Amino acid sequence: MKPSRSAPAPGTGNAMAELLQLPFMQRALLAGLVLGVLLSYLGIFVTLRRMAFFSDGIAHAALAGAAIGLLTRFSPLLSALAFSMVLAAMVYWLEKKSPLSSDAIIGILFTSGMALGVVLISLRPGYQPELIGYLFGNILAIRLQDLALITALAAAILAFIAVNKRKLTLLALDREMACMAGINPDFYELLLYIVLACALVLGIRILGVILVSALLITPVSTARLFSRSFRALAWWTVLLAEFTMLAGVLLSYFLDLPTGAVIVLTGSALFSLIFIGVALRQRFARHPACSKEKKAQRPVR
Amino acid sequence: MDPLLEVKGLSVRFAGIPALENVSFTIEKEAIIAVIGPNGSGKTTLLKAILGLVPYEGEIRLFARPVRQVLPQVGYVPQRFAFDPSFPLTVEEFINLTCRTPEKLPVHGALDEVGMGEFKGKLIGELSGGQLQRVLLAHALLHRPRILFLDEATSGIDIEGQGDFYSTIQRLNREHGVTVLMVSHEISMVYKFTDRIICLNRDLVSHGETRSALTAEVLRKLYGENADFKAHGHEAVPQRPGAGHGERHG
Repeated sequence: MKPSRSAPAPGTGNAMAELLQLPFMQRALLAGLVLGVLLSYLGIFVTLRRMAFFSDGIAHAALAGAAIGLLTRFSPLLSALAFSMVLAAMVYWLEKKSPLSSDAIIGILFTSGMALGVVLISLRPGYQPELIGYLFGNILAIRLQDLALITALAAAILAFIAVNKRKLTLLALDREMACMAGINPDFYELLLYIVLACALVLGIRILGVILVSALLITPVSTARLFSRSFRALAWWTVLLAEFTMLAGVLLSYFLDLPTGAVIVLTGSALFSLIFIGVALRQRFARHPACSKEKKAQRPVR
Repeated sequence: MDPLLEVKGLSVRFAGIPALENVSFTIEKEAIIAVIGPNGSGKTTLLKAILGLVPYEGEIRLFARPVRQVLPQVGYVPQRFAFDPSFPLTVEEFINLTCRTPEKLPVHGALDEVGMGEFKGKLIGELSGGQLQRVLLAHALLHRPRILFLDEATSGIDIEGQGDFYSTIQRLNREHGVTVLMVSHEISMVYKFTDRIICLNRDLVSHGETRSALTAEVLRKLYGENADFKAHGHEAVPQRPGAGHGERHG
């Protein structure tokens, strides 16, 4: 549900400037930019450790947490946060203690959480607009208290990553080498799971449980297509996420389309464009007529 | 004087199945030591138990202390680097990101030490198997370890690369006094480059100085009746079955 638009009609000269003065748009953009940094940077570790399914599973299962909040009239965001962090710890514990593969454990918990969410929400009579909000996100409806919570938690998580960047990277690269470097791999793995669950739930306010993983995976995957170092990858990932977020929010507003979906499609379009660009560049680089070495070898006439 | 490494009654079981049984040995002084044995004989398990990477029964003391207390003095080069090679990480970044701080040896110094100085800007995923092993060795050397553990560090590397790798190991031992304990399948390389040998087949078959402990009888105990010594030049070089092709002999 979008807030009522007392905004100027798109296309007028000062439409953009006036749009940016609207409080709901300011909150939306600020939340989007903060979560863009947080989720895209965490995405580096997620793709390196191949945890995309974990992220998707936790996001979907968080619906049950939000539903508990809605039913009990407690904050759905806070209850989803608590629920998904407990779930992340449970996945971690079951991965260690059960003979099942990680995929199977996440698959069971993810579907159970989602199903529980649907059942709990069905207990409330009447139309459930909040359900649609949690499924697909509603960045334009972010309230000031949501923004404050998102900013505070994102700052805490980013500080945690900054302090433990070396440990998290080494753990993501090779567990044994992390052990040998004196890192407690179990402790930091558990922390990463919990931090990731927390970040995903914050992202649900923007993209919803179904789409939030896109912000985690797409920017880093796009940056990987052309980055030639970890440093470049980190910068490009965050820049691409921020661009995707800004462009997605503004486009959705002017085109009057669902914001979360437009953000995801903007990221996907960017990925496709860069993928094609990189593929074409590699093709031409391999083409004998374009190869510098071949040119150098040509006889001078 | 305390032994450098002391292993007493070491047993390891995975899901109740013994991988190592009651292995005991000591390493008294700086040397290059090889651990050999057939597949499934517990070589990698021995290394991992010493390093505290798998649970075990028995007693292990390194420099007369529990291993966890002396980890900064230990370097380790794993058999496989479980890393996505398409991830954009340069050699220099890999070493900077993953080393303990402050390192005793500058990053470029460690890379130069293993002949990889000019590769610091190259992506890890673009290195050959031999180059990657050298980078892992440089990583292990950053804190000037007193002991290096190498787990089949030359598997998948061509013959020339293996020779270069072993020469680097030998130089580290001779010039810097680094003790090296390495798991290897390359019996001829082991014969040529190592001082001592530990022969495993779940339990300890033999250990001692390489030239005296690595006998035809021991080889047959480890690898079966087909294993033997093969005359090569002026020297008899031990061969495990199927190792006759493409190995460089001394």
